[in-house]
Amino acid sequence: MDYSSSHPIFKQGELIMKNNIRVERAIKNITQGELAEQVNVSRQTINSIESNRYVPSTILALKIAHVFGKPLEEIFALEDGD
Amino acid sequence: MKTRFLFPYWCRYLGWGLVIAHVPLTIIARHHGMDIEDGPGTQALFTGNHLFFMCTALLMTTGLFLVAFAKEKIEDEQIWQIRLDSLRWAIYLNYLILIIGLVFINDTGHILELNLWVPLLFFIVRFRWIILRLTRSLSREN
Repeated sequence: MDYSSSHPIFKQGELIMKNNIRVERAIKNITQGELAEQVNVSRQTINSIESNRYVPSTILALKIAHVFGKPLEEIFALEDGD
Repeated sequence: MKTRFLFPYWCRYLGWGLVIAHVPLTIIARHHGMDIEDGPGTQALFTGNHLFFMCTALLMTTGLFLVAFAKEKIEDEQIWQIRLDSLRWAIYLNYLILIIGLVFINDTGHILELNLWVPLLFFIVRFRWIILRLTRSLSREN
């Protein structure tokens, strides 16, 4: 993957991880509960991840990406925190 | 997720049972505690008072311990993080109180007693509160 120098990971400030799980869920037409069941976590956790209150572990992120059949970086991305 | 060193889910109810059982016992002790004669050496072990204190304190501490470290229905990594975070705050608070206590109270017995339940109780309250907030925000969105 090509990172230009304007990519957020090169910036000094705090980074946050955004995701488009909600969109992917809508495409695949599954509920939070169904996704939660497939990756073996609670619905609260999926909800927290979707609203960017919780950053999942790499393992969980990979599991979620696997459910949607997409590479990790199409679902999770770093953004500038400020 | 593998969860070692946690009690099964039902232990939470057993724990609350023990905590609740300790309440009437302590109330009775406060009312009739004076009846128990300690004999001349109050420092002695296994006198009536000591046994009673030991039993009630053990009931309460074991109860709180079981409640605090029983698994959630679904114990996942977010719960695990909340658990650790709450534990950290409980330790902070405990040592803050301990240090203040050591400086301002010249009664190590009561400080010990405080030490027995402050971290566990604070942990439980904080942990449950965060989980309650998560559940609330979940039901608000759906």
